[in-house]
Amino acid sequence: MAITRRELITSIAKAGVPAAVAVTAGATPALADEHIPVPSAAVGLLYDATICIGCKACVAACAAANDTPPDTRGDDLHQAPSDLNELTRNIIKLYKPTDGSPSSFVKRQCMHCLDPACAAGCPFQALSKDPETGVVSWTAEKCIGCRYCTITCPYHIPRFQWQGFNPRVTKCELCRHRLAQGLKPGCTSVCPTGAVIFGPRTVLLLEAKKRIREHPGRYYQDRVYGEADNGGTQSLYLSHVPFEKLGLPELGQESVPARTLRWQRRFYHYFALPAVLYAGLVQVIRKSVNGHEHELLESEKRTGLRAQL
Amino acid sequence: MSGEPLNDDRWERAVPVYGFPVVTRFFLGLVVLVVIAFALSGYRELAGLGPVSGMNDAFGWGIWKTFNVMVLTALGSGAFAVGIAAWVFRRKRMFALMRMALLTSFLAYACGLLLLGIDAGRPWNFYWIVFPWKWNMHSPLAEVAICMSIYAMLPLAIENLPPVLERLWYFDSRLRPGVEKIERKLHSVFPWVISLAYLLPGMHQSSLGALMLLAGERVHPLWQTLFLPVLYLGAACFMSFGCVAGTTMLCCLMWKRAMDMDVLAEAARITTCLIGGWLALRILDIAFRGALGTAFHFDRFAGVFWLETVFIAGGGWLLYRSVKTRDPQPMFMGYILSSAGGMLYRFSPTTLAFRPNPEALYFPATIEIVVSLGFIALGVAGFLVAVKRLAILPAPLHAWHDMANYFRFRRPYIRWTGYFQGGYFGSDEPKAAQGD
Repeated sequence: MAITRRELITSIAKAGVPAAVAVTAGATPALADEHIPVPSAAVGLLYDATICIGCKACVAACAAANDTPPDTRGDDLHQAPSDLNELTRNIIKLYKPTDGSPSSFVKRQCMHCLDPACAAGCPFQALSKDPETGVVSWTAEKCIGCRYCTITCPYHIPRFQWQGFNPRVTKCELCRHRLAQGLKPGCTSVCPTGAVIFGPRTVLLLEAKKRIREHPGRYYQDRVYGEADNGGTQSLYLSHVPFEKLGLPELGQESVPARTLRWQRRFYHYFALPAVLYAGLVQVIRKSVNGHEHELLESEKRTGLRAQL
Repeated sequence: MSGEPLNDDRWERAVPVYGFPVVTRFFLGLVVLVVIAFALSGYRELAGLGPVSGMNDAFGWGIWKTFNVMVLTALGSGAFAVGIAAWVFRRKRMFALMRMALLTSFLAYACGLLLLGIDAGRPWNFYWIVFPWKWNMHSPLAEVAICMSIYAMLPLAIENLPPVLERLWYFDSRLRPGVEKIERKLHSVFPWVISLAYLLPGMHQSSLGALMLLAGERVHPLWQTLFLPVLYLGAACFMSFGCVAGTTMLCCLMWKRAMDMDVLAEAARITTCLIGGWLALRILDIAFRGALGTAFHFDRFAGVFWLETVFIAGGGWLLYRSVKTRDPQPMFMGYILSSAGGMLYRFSPTTLAFRPNPEALYFPATIEIVVSLGFIALGVAGFLVAVKRLAILPAPLHAWHDMANYFRFRRPYIRWTGYFQGGYFGSDEPKAAQGD
């Protein structure tokens, strides 16, 4: 009964550490979840902040395309929401620094990340990424309303409906119902200057790089935000002001789930490590239970009282 | 026990708290609070979360999740931490605390899970939990939700059966064959059940920490680390020791029971070791990530960090001292302080150290606080009923015989307490029974 720790360790070792290590550590370089594939027919948006005139036609068109009543809660007259909300999937915001340096409009909607953090955290896959188009969409029948997506999304996009008994999560779904009909998303179909365009991600990337090439010095860092940021996104941004000022944080090339959940994913890979731990625990505890039952019998004899487990 | 100094207060047997009524003014107050909380929960189901809580787009999670689940289930991890000390590392003295640990765990988890169901915006979709192929196996939240429900409903509930069966056994001699049959079955599956009862909390208490990993930079660097799962699990371990031992001491004070300082000192020793290891990991992790500088900024984050560190370290130091002096007073204070610090730590990443972009504030609404308190009251009320009706609290052997005498001679009409009916109190019982 004395060498408990050693016993614990040897029991676990006996129960199959080699197998677990093989699954957890050996197979890690090739762990499927850590490789971020680009969906075969990935579509997306390219927003160029230098062209946008801030007319907000896309905001109205978005609400119309999604059968959402216009959000006129600000002054009961104009459709002028101050941020994304349960009626607003798409919004134009203005970044205007007080020191007179260049200002910029920015269109905010879902980035449709290649490795979306919202879907990585969603417990029952209510938020999921379409394997072909790569659109990240929400399924009402699977959502338990835990609001984890509002915490995980690094761009702060999904919004929860705080009123009513049947709350929904609202986010841009790239007008997937329109895509199915062969139409473009609402926002890109009305943009008068072509500041936001729709197309396959590869084509949009080429177009963005062409613009950078043709206008050297015009774009911030001569970089397309979303090409590699956060593991790559399907909404791409060009801007003349730092991306961080537009609410697009510098997250690095690795996606948030890949960076933060690596060990979590390895630990639960095929449930191998928990299974081995369980086997080891059963081994040790069976011995403990036998020993304890023996002691209980002795105390029963000594006290004349029924043993308590 | 030869060789050991004689200890008159040795806890040998769990004995119900007899001689105190269950329905007191305090208990009625708790019941009123619970009723109000349930009524308000009904209102919340109709009106939505907005009207009843301070939650907003930036702080999607309020105290129902971040306090009642994240913090209180850590306090209620006693069945896990004390159980591992007793069954895996075979600290035999810890068996005296096992029933307290199991009961507090069950109540904390049950109340937390109930509130989790009320906090969920679309709770009717929880039925997906029965289709494992619909789970997102790599989601920390799925891990928490699924694992916690399974744990509280199966292994933890089964572990809590023995006191109930014991009461049935004493209640009526006609029940005994059936009860003994169930007990034999229970004993044969026990190793498998309690192994599960240690694996599952280990998994979900660490996954609770993994929840905030996905929030990335929005959690202040003093808290955001890849070691969050380990630190959350470690905090749950020392906090639950504090909760179990502290509650036991409080009960002993309240109902004038003898304290077995051998058991309590051993628990304090284990807690001290856990706190020491945990603090070392926490500080080393911060230092190696290069975030130590932010602890000396003059802002609320540094304040919260020092507050929790001082609480935990101070509590640990008091416990360390009390192991030697065997003085229950600083020991109790040590448990309170270290648990309070641990609670603060478990609360911080989601709320106090969470920095949404753009800046926003969260303060719980009145209804939110009342519901939160109501579900705590539910646990406390359940605890009071359980310790007065079941053999939970550890006591010296003579307390059992005192109870027998109490029911036999002083209040013989109280039959329904169960410990009198059928009158089996020990080997001297047949003689006494003949006198009736």
